[in-house]
Amino acid sequence: MTHIPGDLISRYFDGDLTSDELRELQDWLRSSSDHIRQFTRACWLHDRLRGELQSISQGNPTPLSPAEALPPASMRYQMRSVAITACLIAVVAFLSLFWLEVGTTQVSAATELNRLISAQNDHLDKTYEVDVEEIAASRRPFGKQSEANRPPKPPLDGAVLHVRHGGQFVLIRDQPDGLSFITGCNGRTSWAIRPDGPVRFSRDLTRFNRDLPGHEHDIPLIQIEDGLKQIREAYEIQLLPIENADADNGGQSPTRLMVAVKKRGHRGPQRIEITYSVATGHIRQLRFVEMPYGPERLTLRMTLVEERTLRPDFFDYQSHCSADRIVEEE
Amino acid sequence: MDNQTRQAARLWTLAQPAVSAFVLSVVRDFSVRDDVLQETAVAVIESFERYDTSRPFVSWAIGIAQNQIRLYWRREKRDHLIFDDDVVDLMAGSFKTSLPEETASLGFLRDCLNQLEGRARELIEMRYTRDLKPASISELIGMSANSVAKALQRLRDQLRDCIERKNSSEGCAP
Repeated sequence: MTHIPGDLISRYFDGDLTSDELRELQDWLRSSSDHIRQFTRACWLHDRLRGELQSISQGNPTPLSPAEALPPASMRYQMRSVAITACLIAVVAFLSLFWLEVGTTQVSAATELNRLISAQNDHLDKTYEVDVEEIAASRRPFGKQSEANRPPKPPLDGAVLHVRHGGQFVLIRDQPDGLSFITGCNGRTSWAIRPDGPVRFSRDLTRFNRDLPGHEHDIPLIQIEDGLKQIREAYEIQLLPIENADADNGGQSPTRLMVAVKKRGHRGPQRIEITYSVATGHIRQLRFVEMPYGPERLTLRMTLVEERTLRPDFFDYQSHCSADRIVEEE
Repeated sequence: MDNQTRQAARLWTLAQPAVSAFVLSVVRDFSVRDDVLQETAVAVIESFERYDTSRPFVSWAIGIAQNQIRLYWRREKRDHLIFDDDVVDLMAGSFKTSLPEETASLGFLRDCLNQLEGRARELIEMRYTRDLKPASISELIGMSANSVAKALQRLRDQLRDCIERKNSSEGCAP
């Protein structure tokens, strides 16, 4: 061999091999499954580099010098894609539309995520319904003995979560006996109302939020905006096609699904699926797949059921228990 | 969109990174990859009702991509330097099994890219953001084409080393 394989592989990607060198590379690939794996890994990196750098470029555009007067590659690809898609539309119109939506990959996904983050600043209170689809044991031992010894948490399935800006929330969970366990925070104190025993409150605003999935992994359900920023850093994000885009859609406004898959080395749910309004960027549903929750991993959905301005004292504990309850500060 | 198309779209979204890397490994050129990938996506949706759910979706999608690559070369009728079919089959087999490992491993790529500065950063951006080949880059920055090619190779090696170091330090070496 006249070249080391790394040199041949690199020049293969850069379109710089002669026919003899290509033959040499093929012989090398045929000679060992390890060589195939080595080549495959180089291809993954080559392919991903393109996506990452285009994504970075989209977020941080740099001015072009006169010497770099070629149209940007991304623009050339978009023009080419549009032309091809136009032909495909003549054959299978909705399928072409599908690809246009899916094929925009990470660049538009990152832009769209930024739009969702901005859209969360509408200052309306939001009410979500929580549905637990699946509960699995954690893959790793649950380390904190104090947590392990705690009594079982009231079920999250069927819970109602009210959220206001500033980390304010009320989480209402119904126990099997029909009574409600309510926790919350009004931005000044956090509190818990058990069906039995005293009402407890604390000036530590995180004191009673451990029953909220996500708080321990930087995906706070009560501050969706912060959670979305975390997704931007720790997840690979992709967009699925717009749904209900037709005029005849039964009155539903178009929605879109964003899928975020966790990168290695970060904590949090394995996958997050966000269904949102295309027009406003308002989130309709969040689905968390394999979300760590104490000793378990949950797959759960949070579906928006209402957006409105709740009364000012709604997030105070006094709004959720009778005045004669005993109250203790912790 | 009906449930079947929605399910196909969901599976395609997850499989797309592997299919994209496979197609690029065979066609090399990013613009050709985009064309073939686009046609593969359409073919996947059109034939989704024939997908056997007992098989991994990514394997099925890569098989469709192989067909689309053949159709593309035949249609273009260009005299390309391309791999023989048996080598393409070997690579397809490898990509069919590498998705979870590589997807997770490359999660550190952004961090490693952020460590590149100066000329290194400039080179890698010209190659991957603007899709310039070494010969074109050399005209812009006053290096020889061979030096640019060598520098790009070193940068890819450097990024791979960085990713592996970060994976190892997280206790999850690939």
